[in-house]
Amino acid sequence: MPGLVGFYTFGEGRENWDASHFIRYGLGALQGRGQESISLATVGPGNTLHTLAGKGGVEDFFEKNKTSIPKGFIGIGQTSSYIDDYLVHVKTPYELVLALDGKTDLHENRREASKLFARQLSQLLHSENEPLKATSMLVNKIGGGYSFVALTHKRALISGRNPLGVKPLETGSVGFDIAAVASETCALDVMGIDHTGPVETGEVIMFTPEDIRGNAPAADAGNFCSYEYVYLARLDSTVNTLPVAKARNSIGRELAKAHPAKANVVIGVPETALPIANGYSQESGLPQEPGFVRTGENIRAALEPTQKERLVGVQLKLNPIKSAIENKDVVLVDDSVVRGNTLRNTVLNLKRNGAHQVHVRIGSPALVSPCPYGVEIPDADELISSSLDEKELANHVAADSVSFMTVEELQRAIGLPRQNLCMRCFENGGAKR
Amino acid sequence: MRIMGVGGGAREHALAWKMSLSDHKPEIFWIAENRNPGIHKICKDNQGELRTGRTTDPKTIVRSSRGWGVDIVVVGPEEPGFNGIPDALEKEGIHCVGASQELSIIERSKADLRRLQWENNLPGKLLFRTFKNAREASDYIRKNIGTQPWLQNIVIKPARQSGGKGVKLIEDRLAHLHENKGRFKEAYFDSLQASMAAYSDIEDKILVEEKAWGPEYSLQCFTDGKTVLGTPLVQDNKSAHEFDSGPETGGMGSISGPDLALPFITRDEYDKSLKIVEGIVEAIQKKTGKSYHGMVGGQMMLTENEGPTIIEMYSRLGDPEALNMLAMLKTDIVDVFQAIVERRLSKLKLEFTNEDAVVVKVVAPNGYPEKKENAKGHPVQVFETNIKRNGCYLFWGNADLQDNGEAVTGGSRLLALMATDHTLPPASALIEKTMSSIQLTDGWGLYHRSDIGSEQLLAKRWDSAERVRRLYQYREEHGTLGRRMEWIPKVGTIDPSQLLLKEMQGPEKAG
Repeated sequence: MPGLVGFYTFGEGRENWDASHFIRYGLGALQGRGQESISLATVGPGNTLHTLAGKGGVEDFFEKNKTSIPKGFIGIGQTSSYIDDYLVHVKTPYELVLALDGKTDLHENRREASKLFARQLSQLLHSENEPLKATSMLVNKIGGGYSFVALTHKRALISGRNPLGVKPLETGSVGFDIAAVASETCALDVMGIDHTGPVETGEVIMFTPEDIRGNAPAADAGNFCSYEYVYLARLDSTVNTLPVAKARNSIGRELAKAHPAKANVVIGVPETALPIANGYSQESGLPQEPGFVRTGENIRAALEPTQKERLVGVQLKLNPIKSAIENKDVVLVDDSVVRGNTLRNTVLNLKRNGAHQVHVRIGSPALVSPCPYGVEIPDADELISSSLDEKELANHVAADSVSFMTVEELQRAIGLPRQNLCMRCFENGGAKR
Repeated sequence: MRIMGVGGGAREHALAWKMSLSDHKPEIFWIAENRNPGIHKICKDNQGELRTGRTTDPKTIVRSSRGWGVDIVVVGPEEPGFNGIPDALEKEGIHCVGASQELSIIERSKADLRRLQWENNLPGKLLFRTFKNAREASDYIRKNIGTQPWLQNIVIKPARQSGGKGVKLIEDRLAHLHENKGRFKEAYFDSLQASMAAYSDIEDKILVEEKAWGPEYSLQCFTDGKTVLGTPLVQDNKSAHEFDSGPETGGMGSISGPDLALPFITRDEYDKSLKIVEGIVEAIQKKTGKSYHGMVGGQMMLTENEGPTIIEMYSRLGDPEALNMLAMLKTDIVDVFQAIVERRLSKLKLEFTNEDAVVVKVVAPNGYPEKKENAKGHPVQVFETNIKRNGCYLFWGNADLQDNGEAVTGGSRLLALMATDHTLPPASALIEKTMSSIQLTDGWGLYHRSDIGSEQLLAKRWDSAERVRRLYQYREEHGTLGRRMEWIPKVGTIDPSQLLLKEMQGPEKAG
């Protein structure tokens, strides 16, 4: 899953802005969405597109490429969880680069699908007199679930979100000089740019040297990814005008209401589940204690590439705080369960360090099917909940009980209407309960 | 009676419109740089004439007003005042409503305005510093940023209005962006130095002010030098595009009403703002020995350090803010002008409607403000019956009426649409409904800000006002309003505002 940033400048002195520098920090804030592959493109006074791509993470990439970072005062960037997943560069008939989060339905393969989208965009910018209108027709025509930012050699920055609106995209500006778009508001904050609101579903916003213009957004409110609220988005972001921290707290509260447990303490699995555990504690009245200290980098377990790395990764990362759990019954709160490895290690870790009973409470429904829009949720046969029910899973991980939220409970917690939330990964194929 | 107006924008069209509604039934004459289609029509319908000419040239203005034998001249824009039009007229014994050259310094020189405030220790100030050249500015900031942290977040302006040089707002709060922000600041200092080099009569070329955060609003006033009468607050929107993004413009639209204060400004803040403007009028009259008779306005901001604060001053009415104010004005405008020139404003009962909220939206051709040359010369089509049917008003701005009766764009803000209702959002919606009545016949695009007057933008303003209000009221309660206190290791507590006061007032006066 990629994180996108677009950076635009106006007015006198704009050539003094260093777009790459802002993009570096914007992408840095979006690394939670993935950090395998980094790429960026800029354009400056010469109307030439400069691009650079390489292996992540963001800081490593920028340090390693210090001398070859593209110069320019307008630019876009992408950090992606996929290997070798970079901006698409189309040279003819109209030169542009494209960063895309999600997936268009033009091809099975995400990268091929993005390429085909970029080519159609290039064709249309070349032949149409009204590029904004033409682009918004394209976005309405091409299905899938995606957000994108494109940069042309003529210094236009085009950003958009297809009518389904699964993937987030937010806008911001500061002073009279700078405007930006980014997958999450945290990237705008880190770039020192004030958040002005989301790119609406079906909306295309075009920044050109002459103006900023948008088409009329889709009438429908869209079908927002619920997993953004559970796990994907950063805690300090606002997604579709709903603060993520607020959503996670309310998920924790809903979880406590619907799935209580007899215990002495609530422990959250760092980092994503901590605010969910906090909500659980507030609602249940059980104290929340810090249960683990992390060693090493904050690499998000669900996004790590191999099973082996994951096993090593988890043990190294989470060191339990023994006094918090010794001789206690624990409610262990996590955001979701993919293959069950993290959970098993964590539960065993708690018990080996003196916890008595461990009741696992998960702040989302069981993941049972892959995401059609490119979030790295593995195929169904790699999802533990597609073959084990709660009781079987409890036995598997040596927990005294395991409970997931229901789809209805999660929807109630997030607080958006059911038809405006995408929950395909929790539904299709049917969970074994 | 005969009245002559000067200036060809939407503000002047609105002034002419209001004059045409007067019970005095004045004959209306006008001088403007462009043949504004709206003013042209009003003049024709009121036994007058619109003539094009240089509005900054005293000879042109005096000759025309003499030729037409007008009783009162009303100056709309700031440039004629800067160039001494009111002075020239009065020397010839012609009544003029408009700030004279020396008084208009409060708008012409942003640096002199700040000095006036600090020398007299008036409320509503911002920290400032002036510099002779770019080098001096860069050096000063680099040397003092450690002991005067306000230098991090600054506004850079030309010390005096200069060839379209804009204002740069630079927030430098994040360490990782510091280097690029610094480079941007220094480059802009260089650019200002180059453009100000022509002014040899003033020493200070670059003005650096403390950047403040908060909702902005304009308080426009009438004054005869003895009395300052406030009018309803108006909020303009300076950024070109939706939700305050994009380049700085002259103003993309404005809101006011239904009350004297805006929905997010309190009556107490209105009163304080009026006192602040009165203070400026009094101080500048004292300093110059001249009497101020005309319009004056404070472009204000509610700030956390000072409460109501002056960002800049107007020596005239705002454009588009004038449209809101004139739409709400119930008193006969000609009575107001007569009271001003006869110095009896204290006896005038200035009345405004308290039933209508007013929304104004400016329509500009694509290309404005960054590429005005591309925005110029496009023929305009207006469906007036639609506009009227929807209950909207049209005020022409930077448009030029051709001999064939067609109006073409001038490259700047083309026109403004205005609507009223009991609250702002329905008035805004009314204008949105009417927008398709304005088109360019050659297919060139027009734009406007649909967010002005919307619930969403109002909520944002309200929110920002509340946050700032909590802070400045805290300072009020704790006796630290107006103070900027810093604690510097090994130095202790310092207050840049006290240091500046001492510097501006001389050591003995500041005590």
